[in-house]
Amino acid sequence: MTQNELIGKIRELRQIKPRKDWVLLTKSQILGQEETPKFELFPFFKPAYAGLFFLLLLAGLIEFSQGALPGDPLYSLKRITEKAQAVFVSKEEQPKLQLELTSKRLEELNKVADANRVKRLAPALNEFQKTKIVAKKEILDSIKNKSEKEAIKVVKEVAPELNKINEKQNKVYLDLGIGESREESDQTTEKAVVEILINDAKNSTLTEEQKTDLAKVEEYYKSGDFQEAFQLFMTGSLNPSY
Amino acid sequence: MKNLRKIFSKIYDRYIDKIYRFIFFKVNSQEIAQDLTSETFLKGWESFKNGTKIENPQAYLYKTARNLVIDFYREKGKVQIVSADNPLIPDPAPNLEEKAMLSSDLDQIRQALTELNDDYQNVIIWYYLDDLSISEISQMLGRTDDATRVLLHRALKTLKEKLKEA
Repeated sequence: MTQNELIGKIRELRQIKPRKDWVLLTKSQILGQEETPKFELFPFFKPAYAGLFFLLLLAGLIEFSQGALPGDPLYSLKRITEKAQAVFVSKEEQPKLQLELTSKRLEELNKVADANRVKRLAPALNEFQKTKIVAKKEILDSIKNKSEKEAIKVVKEVAPELNKINEKQNKVYLDLGIGESREESDQTTEKAVVEILINDAKNSTLTEEQKTDLAKVEEYYKSGDFQEAFQLFMTGSLNPSY
Repeated sequence: MKNLRKIFSKIYDRYIDKIYRFIFFKVNSQEIAQDLTSETFLKGWESFKNGTKIENPQAYLYKTARNLVIDFYREKGKVQIVSADNPLIPDPAPNLEEKAMLSSDLDQIRQALTELNDDYQNVIIWYYLDDLSISEISQMLGRTDDATRVLLHRALKTLKEKLKEA
């Protein structure tokens, strides 16, 4: 055997190799030891759990955002959630929903005022005013072009809540030393509501006290003070919930 | 850590065959070669992940493998050759599976190679089988390039003589 032939034969010894399964097993044993961490702080950071993790995170954030006040970072999320919920509410239920939201906004304004958070007062007031305008529009839309009977039903449902909001609003505004905005002072809704309430009362059997109160309400109505007429109707003997 | 694992994984893939073969020629047993090879890479991985700077992974792995083979023979009370005059005692029962893989003349060469002393064996494996350069081998052996060339020449001559004897 020549030297070159020997070298060629030596090179052929390269075919001596470890078994492939052993190579793979050994690799996983050596490097895989670290791949089973003793404790995973965030097991959700695995692609398979990513969707679930973000759903839970979102649900948590939405829940947490429910306590947010205007000006808080999560307040926008709270409003978006409410808007999303409103999409699933029927047209007939919209006035009630919007009144509920108006009541929430007024509660927020009250909290901001109580905590003396001056910087958040303006956004809180703005949110309340915007929501109340939407609620009043929804009430008006829901009684427009409806039969008398249907309109009375709607008004009797929403009037107590609207009155409650008005009363609380007066108190909060008085505490803050502010008056109604121009949009808020628009009494178109109150006019329509009082009109329906007066007509309904006229078709009912009234006590003497109620007849007196109705006369006063009509006076306010004729003088164009629909807000006062509504308030008197709701707080006096004519209150439909009595 | 993930990045270190990725780097070492590449080192493993690149050198596993060479290190296994290198050890196999010294212990002449598949089972022992597997044990010592996995121990070599385990030691390498532990040093690597603990931040030991390994500039030349190949040299590091060969050195670790050599030390493990020495320890193996020391533990077993077998003779470990460190000089040209004391050849390694091969495993009396070479693995049948490995033997079947090779043709008879190749097996003869393998057998003769295992009987060479450590330095001769290393220089032949590194130069002809693993394609290391003379300077790389010189660095690992702590010799000059000329001395390595001479060593390689003598190793090949000795191997040839061994084959003639067989």
